[in-house]
This record gives sequence, structure tokens and C-alpha cells, in this order.
Amino acid sequence: MNYKLVTRKLSPYGYIAPAMAIFAIFLFFPFFKTIYLSLFKTNKMGQAKLFVGAGNYSELLSSASFFNSLFVTVVFVLIVVSVSMLLGLITAVLCNQSFPGIRIFSTAYALPMAIASSSAAMIFKIMLHPAIGIVNKILGLHINWISDPRYALICVALLTAWLNSGINFLYFSAGLSNIDEVIYERASVDGANSFQKFFRLTLPGLSPILFYTLVVNIIQAFQSFGQVKVLTMGGPGESTNLIVYSIYRDAFFNYRFGSAAAQSVILFVIIMVLTLCMFRLEKKGVHY
Amino acid sequence: MRKRAISFCMAAIMAAGLLSGCSSQTESGNTAVSETKEEVTTSAAPVAAETSGNTQKTSITFWHSMGGVNGKAIDALVEKFNKENTSGITVEAQYQGSYDDAINKLKSAQIGNMGADLVQIYDIGTRFMIDSGWVVPMQQLIDEDKWDLSQVEPNIAAYYTVNGTLYSMPFNSSTPILYYNKDIFKKAGIKEVPDSLPGIERVGDDLLKKGGAGEVISLGIYGWFFEQFTCKQQANYADSGNGREAAATAVDFDKNGAGVKTLTAWKELSTKGYAPNVGRGGDAGLADFSSGKSAMTLGSTASLKQILNDVNGKFEVGTAYFPKVSDEDKGGVSIGGGSLWALNNNDANKQKAVWEFVKFLVSPESQAYWNSQTGYFPITTAAHNEPVFKDNIAKFPQFQTAIDQLHDSTPQSAGALLSVFPEARQTVETEIENMINNNGTPEDAVKKMADSINKSIADYNLLNK
Repeated sequence: MNYKLVTRKLSPYGYIAPAMAIFAIFLFFPFFKTIYLSLFKTNKMGQAKLFVGAGNYSELLSSASFFNSLFVTVVFVLIVVSVSMLLGLITAVLCNQSFPGIRIFSTAYALPMAIASSSAAMIFKIMLHPAIGIVNKILGLHINWISDPRYALICVALLTAWLNSGINFLYFSAGLSNIDEVIYERASVDGANSFQKFFRLTLPGLSPILFYTLVVNIIQAFQSFGQVKVLTMGGPGESTNLIVYSIYRDAFFNYRFGSAAAQSVILFVIIMVLTLCMFRLEKKGVHY
Repeated sequence: MRKRAISFCMAAIMAAGLLSGCSSQTESGNTAVSETKEEVTTSAAPVAAETSGNTQKTSITFWHSMGGVNGKAIDALVEKFNKENTSGITVEAQYQGSYDDAINKLKSAQIGNMGADLVQIYDIGTRFMIDSGWVVPMQQLIDEDKWDLSQVEPNIAAYYTVNGTLYSMPFNSSTPILYYNKDIFKKAGIKEVPDSLPGIERVGDDLLKKGGAGEVISLGIYGWFFEQFTCKQQANYADSGNGREAAATAVDFDKNGAGVKTLTAWKELSTKGYAPNVGRGGDAGLADFSSGKSAMTLGSTASLKQILNDVNGKFEVGTAYFPKVSDEDKGGVSIGGGSLWALNNNDANKQKAVWEFVKFLVSPESQAYWNSQTGYFPITTAAHNEPVFKDNIAKFPQFQTAIDQLHDSTPQSAGALLSVFPEARQTVETEIENMINNNGTPEDAVKKMADSINKSIADYNLLNK
């Protein structure tokens, strides 16, 4: 009896042990190690060498470059999230009817999902080239898109938005097909026009998936890296120095893991707070 | 309440995923260190020159950073060596990505049995490699074999020589030169190619109005150019004799005025519209030039092949010396590119094999082939007598400029060594970019560069004693 009780109590832990082991190795250990490293200055090999306590943090919080990174990242995330969700939503709604050739359109809209961000960035780098790029040729302009601080961030953000729109299209399409056709018919009988149908039926029906996509999109946007690395290297000046790129630069270029780890921790806190806020918001705006 | 707990956990895990994603690599870099300490202590011990050393069936690993056309040339050389050597040595060449990637991988790979026996490292990694203690100075291998070092171009060897010791074998060396569009120059009626930045300014209007150029010079914002302009003024980039007598403690270009002079001339070209901002990096200006838009560009000699391919006969490409900052400057240029570092693996056989391979790579025949395939200098003077080299020079007379420029330079212009050079170069580029985009003053830009780089140097020296 006693033995049975023990196994009953213990066996659940056995089931979650493999998952926990993986989490421990790949998530928790690096997580705590990052926090540990953020309290040190590291030597050229990235080895913790000199304990500085909150020194890395106070250095960051007094650095204009870091605040610039934060500001640039926020602007970037705003552009990326709003444009990519809008693109995904519009394309999904457009493809929610059946007409000949629909498959071609839905494939085209979902395609960005399959493109690696770095390869897309390489193609855009050529397209945006001031002298030989197709964008300037078509528009008849002479703008140096990625070397001009006024345009560089927008270019990178729009590219990212387009890349992210594919998966959003997929989510929204799935969400749309979950909405019962019957309610649209009833609305038609009641004399609702298509605007009313969209705002009163489609959007509320989509709200759970909208919420999920919003959270995922924000996190994804914060983590954008490949495009910046390939297109602008954080430049011109520091106008596209997104925080993840700045972490990369500090860690693997300057070999200052302490500062990079401190930035990671700050980014972690920011995203954590944002996500918590959104889950708060969920209770108000999302109807299941 | 439970829902809140769940949502909290979800938020935490999502965010933690992000954090750990960033740090997982930190680990590998970190563990690498703790175990390399032993290596460092033993590396100074001279490896006994085993005269009876048996090199039967030795295989060595060679890390390089040459992609594209250059990578093919390396593979061809390696294949030739593997086929022809009589000591049973097999070389395995592994492409490691860019120079930055290769040195970063090396830092991580120095655990226990190291990843490579011979690595190609870029010029600005020199100080780091010397300080690392992982390497067998090339001088040691040369002395053991009584190889004649005077075969190597003295101006090239000077860069890699510190305190009289040649640390690595130069392999792919280049200098920057001025490329110009002969057709535009002819149309504008300009006979003499400008040899200084003010000189470029003087012919600017003619090139635009009479020559029909879209841009006078497509000048990429590249830290290497800034370093070369400092060399041209015979000024030091860093203190402690340009970081050659001892590890540098601060930059010098802010104190000796070279930085301000360079940036003043640079900004002058930019504000007058002669040198529009074409972006960052060594290749940034090349496309404008190859498409016929700009009349001039600065670039590495190693880009010659690429430029000629891209231009494809649309116009005639001329080459000239890298411009001076002011007309009175008398300095030369320093070299860039990569060199070969032998890593200390405490294996006499491998070390011997490495040396055999290095000897093969720098032989006149290999160097002539290498030069004809890539546009890097032949690092041995004897390569100039090889038929392959002569044919190549006859076909691309533009290359002669590069060789003359190198010979006109002096070992004193060897350029700086700095442990934090990769970072310093980025800082320089960022500040030049800021100055041009935000119309800042050269003095301000130089001050910001110096402050930032000096801080990095101080940190580095403090943490890596």
C-alpha cells in the first residue's frame, strides 16, 4: 500500500523528467549562466574574469548607444508587427473565398514563410542597390536605401514584415475557416453590409488567433537578426542597430560577453513584461 | 488565479527561450577557455626538431576563409600538394566562412585537441594571435629548416614581424589602390590622375560636367582606408610604436592629428558632393564604379579581377596609387589580407608537415598561380620570374600599379597592430558614417573614435594580462 502510494506520487515526475532534462540543458542552464555572466567582465576568450556586480548594467543604462538600440528596436517592432499583421489579415480575407486560381494566390501569400531571412536580405540588398538595383530603376529615384539613415530602418522593417506576413496569412486563414458560415448568412438576412460583417463578425471571431499572432509576432520581431546582419550591419551609424544585433556584436565580435549578457537580460525583462501585459489585455479583448 | 499562473509561466518560457537562444553559444566559447590554459603554458616550449621525424602518412587540417573564385584556387593548390608531395602528407582544407568567423571559431575550438594545424587569419587578427600563445612562430620553423626568408617581399614580411620575429607566413596580401574610368577621364580632358584627396577635389567638377560622370568617387566607408590614410601621413595609428614594440595602450591618431586631417579631407569631398555616401565596407563603392557611374573608386588589389569581370569591356579601367591625404604626404601603404599561422599541437610530425605545406604555398610557382587566379600579391619576389605571372601581367597591366606601390612603400609603413582591431575598425566606420550623415565635425568624430577605442583597449589590457 505504502509502496503503491510512493510510485503514484513519483511517477508523474518520471514522465516530465525527459522534458525537464532538455529544458534544463538548453534553457535553464544557459539562462542562469547568462545572468551569471552579466555580472562579470570577460576576457578575450569570453571567460568571466572580473566581478563587477551591476557594473555592466549601469554602464549600459548610461550609454547613449544602448538607448538608441532600444529606441530603434521599439520603432522596428511597431512597424514590423503592424505591417505584417495587416498584410497577413488582408491577404487571408482576400483568399477566404473561392475563385479560380485561388491556390496560386494563397501559395504566393504564404511563400515568405519559406524564405530564409538571410537569403531574402541578400536579394533585397541587390534590389535596393542605388546604382544597379531594380527598385531605383523602376521608381526612377536615386535613393541610397540602405546607406541613408532615413530609409535604412524602414527598409529592414518592411522586409521583415513581408517575411513574417506569410505565417500570419496561414494563422488567419485557419482562423477564418473556423468561423461558422451560418452567422454570415444570418447577418445577410438581417441586412448587414460587408463592412459590418467584417468588423462585427470576422474580427471578433478571429480575436483568439489575433491575440496569439500578436504575441508571437512581437517576440519574433524583437529577435530579428539575419536581415540586419546581411543588409545593414547595424548601420548607417547606429540607425538599425537592433538590440539582438547589438548583443551579437558585443558577444561574438568584441568578445565582451558580460555586456552582451546584460543586454540579453534586459531584453528578457522587456519581453517578459510586454507578454504579461498582453495576457492581461487578453481578458478584455479576446472572445473565445 | 490559475489562469494567471499559467499565463505567467507561458510568458516566462517564451521570453526565456529568447534569452537562452542568445547565450547558448556563449557557453561553447566559455568552456573553450578553461581548458586551453594548459595549451598556453606549453606552447612556448620549443618543439624538438626531430631530424629523423617520420612524416609518413601525416594528415593536417588547414582552415581558410577563401570563398568563391579564391576558394577554388586554394582547393586546386591543396590538391596539387596532396598529389605531388613525396612525404605522404595529406592536407585537408576546410572553408570556415569569413575571416571574422574563422577567428571566432578558432577561439572556440581551442579545447583539447584543436581543430586545425594551420589557419589563415586576417591582418588585424595578428596581435590577438601573438598574444594567444597558441601558435608556433613561423620564424621557428624557418630557422629550423634554414629557409631563406629574404625570398619574401620585405614590405609584406614587415607587417607580420614583431620584435624581429616573423610570426606568420604571409599568404594572400593586398593593398588598396585607386581604380579610375579611363574613358571618363579622357572625355573630361584630364591627363594626370589625382594622387591626393585634394587632387580629386580639384578635378571633381571637370569629371562631372565634361566627363559626364554620375559620381566623382564612390568611396566606401571602410576602416581599412582610414588606416591607410594614416599610413600615408607617416603617422601612427596607435601608441607603443603602432602597437609593435609592446601592446598599445591607446590610439595615437587623435593626438598626432592624422585622424582629423583624414576626416577633414574626406568630409570636404562628401559635402561638395564628389564622394556621396555609398555605404559601408570595402566593396561598397565597387558596383557604382563597375556600372560606369562613378569615375573613381578605392578598392583592394584583390578586387581587380572582379572589377574587370564586372566592367566587361564597357570602358577602360585604369589603376593608380592610393591617394594621399594632403599633397605633401610621403608615406606608403600597408598591406592587408591574410597570413598563415601554425598552431602548436605538440606533434613534431604534424609541425613538419605544416611547414612542408607552407613552403609549397609560398613557392614561386604556387604564388604565381595564386596571383593569376585571385589578384593577391605574389609574396615571394621570385614569383615575378614565373611564366604564369608574366602572362598575367601582360594580360592585366593594371596589376603592375599594385606591385610598384608596394615596392615604393617602406617597412616603416607596416601599419598598426591592435588587439581590439576588429572592433576599432567598426567604431571608425560608424563615426565616419555619423559624421557624413549628420554633418558632424571631423574633430568630434575623431574624439568619439578615440574615446571608444581607448576604452576597449583599456578593458582588454585589464582583463587579459
